[in-house]
Amino acid sequence: MEQQELSVLKDFERDSKWFHENINKLRRGGFAGKFVAIKDSKPIISGENIDVIIKKIEAKGENPSYIFIEFVHPEGFTLIL
Amino acid sequence: MKKIPLEVYPFAGDLRVMASFLLRIEEFSKSIPIQAIVDTGSPITLIGPLDSKRMRISKIQLRKLEGRNKPVNIGGGKVITKIIEKTKLRFGGGLEFDMPVEFPIEDEKNPLQPSLLGVDFMLKTGAKLFFDPTKREAYFEIED
Repeated sequence: MEQQELSVLKDFERDSKWFHENINKLRRGGFAGKFVAIKDSKPIISGENIDVIIKKIEAKGENPSYIFIEFVHPEGFTLIL
Repeated sequence: MKKIPLEVYPFAGDLRVMASFLLRIEEFSKSIPIQAIVDTGSPITLIGPLDSKRMRISKIQLRKLEGRNKPVNIGGGKVITKIIEKTKLRFGGGLEFDMPVEFPIEDEKNPLQPSLLGVDFMLKTGAKLFFDPTKREAYFEIED
């Protein structure tokens, strides 16, 4: 169980790394202003409505809890926390 | 001395220090991976609306969880959060910490609010943050 959980984290970190390293590629590819779900270092589903994306992930038989999903902020956008 | 490696990525207009961990809520008995921005300007650790949705926690479930509600100002707006006390944060190296996290209950105003790992984590664990933006290197150091 412990190994399985750590493996989930490792996959999540890998997909997060891919997202951040390819953010400009995603913007150029039409993902700006959308949520994108990444699995195995590639976008699998995207859209503007997170609830719809989650339903689509479930429809593919995946658990969204374990999938890296992030919003692609447009170039020049700054988020102040 | 224990070390928790962190990631440094450009995100939403600036370089951010990010931590990935498994979040375990005792009442749900499952661990969910979370990526949070390490925010030394935030006194609290907050799970953003996107991660709440990924976790498939409904507002009804959140309300039922053991914890208390509290108003918080996030990004200039006021939201109500629920403080969940019985949670664990587990990092890749196996380090695990019990600490409360907060979930926004009313998230409509700021759906893009990212999850934050706040100063409460550093106080709870005694962690010191090392951040070199030039080399894009960051980690927490925790004394034994």
